[in-house]
Amino acid sequence: MAGQGGSSAGGRGVVISDNWPGYSLDLFTYPQHYYGDLEYVLIPHGIIVDRTERLAKDIMQDIGDNDIVVLCVLKGGYKFCADLVEHIKNLSRNSERFISMKVDFVRLKSYHNDQSMQDMQIIGGDDLSKLTGKNVLIVEDIVGTGRTMKVLLNNIEKYKPKMIKVASLLVKRTSRPDGYRPDYYGFEIPDLFVVGYALDYNEHFRDLNHICVINDHGKTKYRV
Amino acid sequence: MAGQGGSSAGGRGVVISDNWPGYSLDLFTYPQHYYGDLEYVLIPHGIIVDRTERLAKDIMQDIGDNDIVVLCVLKGGYKFCADLVEHIKNLSRNSERFISMKVDFVRLKSYHNDQSMQDMQIIGGDDLSKLTGKDIVGTGRTMKVLLNNIEKYKPKMIKVASLLVKRTSRPDGYRPDYYGFEIPDLFVVGYALDYNEHFRDLNHICVINDHGKTKYRV
Repeated sequence: MAGQGGSSAGGRGVVISDNWPGYSLDLFTYPQHYYGDLEYVLIPHGIIVDRTERLAKDIMQDIGDNDIVVLCVLKGGYKFCADLVEHIKNLSRNSERFISMKVDFVRLKSYHNDQSMQDMQIIGGDDLSKLTGKNVLIVEDIVGTGRTMKVLLNNIEKYKPKMIKVASLLVKRTSRPDGYRPDYYGFEIPDLFVVGYALDYNEHFRDLNHICVINDHGKTKYRV
Repeated sequence: MAGQGGSSAGGRGVVISDNWPGYSLDLFTYPQHYYGDLEYVLIPHGIIVDRTERLAKDIMQDIGDNDIVVLCVLKGGYKFCADLVEHIKNLSRNSERFISMKVDFVRLKSYHNDQSMQDMQIIGGDDLSKLTGKDIVGTGRTMKVLLNNIEKYKPKMIKVASLLVKRTSRPDGYRPDYYGFEIPDLFVVGYALDYNEHFRDLNHICVINDHGKTKYRV
């Protein structure tokens, strides 16, 4: 794991390489009901906290002068969003700049089949016309192919906010040339199925504090 | 970085390999007065917290039935000790077992030069005869001399918990009963570890760079 030098356009993050073996589970604590369901720890909770603190600082520097509406994408984004907002509030409290911040929550629901992302509907949230003229910060848990994010952005742009920024805790490394890169991201990870820190497998593992890789036993146990 | 399988005798920890590049400083936050003085982040504060939580659990399992005296070796051990004790208290609070725990602080002062460890004096701390019959958990870096000294007071059991262990090829290398991380032979600062009294207020464990070494040299 190492931060990589690079252009500041499109954000940078901690890069977790493909051959990263993770941490052995017996060197950390985690809920007892998941014993035997996980392969290893990919990203410990504490380093998520540390990285999020830095992201909050970077975000404050860029958009901290305007009214912000934080748009949290449920359910996977809720933990990252809560911790990010908390850090931004801390910074605001202890600085000269006052940052007026509202938080709202949306869910993305796709029709019929998951492949066709165009048929995606934003549900929940206040009247989205309130986003007009504001700085919008979309907070997501993970960006994979980026298709979900692109559709979401298209939808939000209709309401003519002043600015839209996207912060994602995780970005999956893909070889797609049109791969979407959020403005801010915590960690770039291999193409693994990860759980924990609000990311789920069939609604399980949201209460796991670290981001881990699920094992076959866990996949079978919680299959629907 | 990966935990390694191994015998449970002598404890296990997260092993940081020699070619571990660490994390770039601009991906984390740290005090502004150290900008330009550090090479990279070796161990972020948050993973120290996570690992310490597990150590507290392991310690509780082994010695949670007796009266404990935690002996913190100042100054570098204070942060790890404080966080470890806090986690042990949390566990005690939320479990059936009640663990009576006292904390004391000692400093190790060596005469003349740092190489001659035999000439080490323990200063501070309460009357160390109170350690008799107690379980000791010592935190800190210089253990063997301390252990020799403490054993004179005939405690019931002595355990040692160290946040970091340096990987050496010395055959007589001491291994604590509990440790957080095994690291390469680097000079590290942060999380209460200092360089001439600086960097104790740095939250992450980092490697100092040449600019920092020069700046804070005495």
